Amino acid sequence: MKAMGVIFSNIYDSALAQLTSMRTVASLPFGGRYRFIDFVLSNLSNSGIYNIGIITKYNYRSLMDHLGNLSDWDLNRKNESVLFLPPFVTGNTGVYKGKLEALHSAMNFIETSDHDYVIVCDSTVLCNVDFRAALRQHARSGCDVTILANREPFDPPKKHPLILKADKNNLVTDILIDTFVQPDSYVGLGMFIFNRKHLLEVLEETYAKGLVHLERDFLQRKLNENALTISVYPVKGVVLRNEDIRSYYANNMALMDKAVRDDLFNPDRPIYTKVRDEAPTYYGEGNSVKNSLIADGCKVNGTVENSVIFRGVSVEKDAAVVSSIVMQGARIGKGAHLECVILDKNVTVNDGTVLKGTPEHPVIIQKGETA
Amino acid sequence: MFFRKKDCIAMILAGGQGSRLMVLTENTAKPAVPFGGKYRLIDFPLSNCVNSGIDTVGIMTQYQPLQLNEYIGHGLPWGLNSANGGIHVLSPYSKSQNSEWYKGTANAIFQNISFIERYQPSNVLILSGDHIYKMDYSKMLSLHVKNEADCTIAVIEVPMAEASRFGIMNTDKTGRIKEFQEKPKNPKSNKASMGIYVFRWDVLKKYLIEDNEDPESSNDFGKNIIPKLIRDGHRLFAYDFEGYWKDVGTIESLWQSNMDILGEKPLLDMRSAKNRIYARNYAHPCSYIAPGAEIVNSYVAEGSTVYGKVCNSIISTGCIVEEGAEIHNSFIMPNAVIEKRSVIRYAIIGEDATVHANARIGDDPAFYAKKDWGIAVVGKDKVVEKNKVLLPKDIY
Repeated sequence: MKAMGVIFSNIYDSALAQLTSMRTVASLPFGGRYRFIDFVLSNLSNSGIYNIGIITKYNYRSLMDHLGNLSDWDLNRKNESVLFLPPFVTGNTGVYKGKLEALHSAMNFIETSDHDYVIVCDSTVLCNVDFRAALRQHARSGCDVTILANREPFDPPKKHPLILKADKNNLVTDILIDTFVQPDSYVGLGMFIFNRKHLLEVLEETYAKGLVHLERDFLQRKLNENALTISVYPVKGVVLRNEDIRSYYANNMALMDKAVRDDLFNPDRPIYTKVRDEAPTYYGEGNSVKNSLIADGCKVNGTVENSVIFRGVSVEKDAAVVSSIVMQGARIGKGAHLECVILDKNVTVNDGTVLKGTPEHPVIIQKGETA
Repeated sequence: MFFRKKDCIAMILAGGQGSRLMVLTENTAKPAVPFGGKYRLIDFPLSNCVNSGIDTVGIMTQYQPLQLNEYIGHGLPWGLNSANGGIHVLSPYSKSQNSEWYKGTANAIFQNISFIERYQPSNVLILSGDHIYKMDYSKMLSLHVKNEADCTIAVIEVPMAEASRFGIMNTDKTGRIKEFQEKPKNPKSNKASMGIYVFRWDVLKKYLIEDNEDPESSNDFGKNIIPKLIRDGHRLFAYDFEGYWKDVGTIESLWQSNMDILGEKPLLDMRSAKNRIYARNYAHPCSYIAPGAEIVNSYVAEGSTVYGKVCNSIISTGCIVEEGAEIHNSFIMPNAVIEKRSVIRYAIIGEDATVHANARIGDDPAFYAKKDWGIAVVGKDKVVEKNKVLLPKDIY
């Protein structure tokens, strides 16, 4: 049961536009020391899937820099490897219009392998999942496609890009696009298992017809035509969907919950990231830290509350960081006060600066800027 | 096989049992003992080598090498997984005649002559696996070459009152070593050997072979090789090292050395990017500091969770400090669990140890006569039961 992986790195860039002007959404920092892509890459690595293509179109330097030779994810292998799949220069430099189009650009990669299955993944949905179990279920079900999905609360009503209804054998009976969660429905995780040969046929066909949208133009349409069998693989653990700045902010804050951390950072299936060889964090004179996640290499002399602090951040005396996300390498000057703020990498906050946002609309300071 | 000639390779002596560290080295080699929250002693010489441009390192292990070998692996964390050179774990092995353990520091190198010969190095750097310091060996090597020395020994100035605990070098104005005194009663200088040597390989090889044939010799660099080189009129020079250096051979020195990284301007700066020390990483998430936690002048490493109070201490990776627990002036090694309301003062808690609720471990030296006080230690993997009291100096 050999499987390979394909990861989309750019598809949802626009949803988090303020943080993706200089990077792919896959390389967006999360949870104090990770990038989005660390989760799906670690899941693949921990599931013994080492032949992985990363589809990317632009802004991918930060992603390549982050991944290096992949050894930090234990993915620097001999016979199988991780491949970047940037577009061949064709003059077409626009955004991929949909996942089918993006996958079509990776056809050669999928064609030349000899794996039975292809796991196709977004990078914006963060969870800790064992793909081996999903693959076993997929093989048993005999279906063309398996969609990984979870239950989401019915109330308050919330729109999702992919809603699935399934019978008690986990066979999908109905697919709904961009709509509200319904009773007993599943919400797709943007993770799909295809039979490799079938996927290749699908890509040929849909490309010829000019179809681009995987969920709408292929899955939903073919299911309605009774031309496709789909099963759902229910994921029971924590699922953090990053659809916009608001959910990104809320998901970072969700990590303060021990149950969320214990599930997402299951020590049996660790989430790997780039090693940076920072010293542990030093809590110096004047510090007061409450309910916060702190990465290595920081120096804290001020107040930090309900915040996520990435590696190598310095919080100076009398500064206060409250309900904020501070990415790598920031310096928060003396007496500064931040509340509901997202600082991108290497931001300098001058002494005494006051920045205040709300959980719905956090203030965002762009990479490298001074505030 | 083809080996490219190396200008200098490093040989790290990592075979010592470290018996004075007692329960901390019961099941592991001394160089594998944790330090500073995320490091192990061996990280210091290894990182120093890499930061000095030395890419070929032999590590001589002998006592309980399993954890150390695992930790070193193929050398990736230090960038020593190189195709030409890289890291080599050298255990004693059986030969056609005379199979034996490493008998002394010089004997360990003697038994690895064939390893060193493969690289035909001009010079060999001899290091210890249990010293805490940051040093650029390339400066020492430059001096060695400039002096046309046969051997250069790194020395550090120690307080005159303590000089009799060290191997003392007496030098002339040019830095040439005229006399070596091992632990002298009446030291003539305060330049102590740091156990870091650069030798011209052809000279060292000759002396190692001679030393091995001498049944009276204890096969030790400090006791035999160095004094003989001086007697024979070879060019030995001292290299003056300024900075932090500590031999962490005892519980007290291991504890003290960890305390020395604390403070706004610490004696040993682990935070500076200069001569960074690298360590193997274990994919821990960020540390979580709970609402009720209080942390004063301390390091907390990734993967730790702190609910209680931590003061002047080091909490290593993957530790848990539960609610109401208090840790003062202590070094907590990786993955230790300190349960509710336990109080730890002036102690070292071993790797993977568990201290159950309401225990009292160690105490403040202010309340004790000097002879009655010492660091309390809980060994690796040990479990301290509920309400247990360990006094200063207690080893559990």
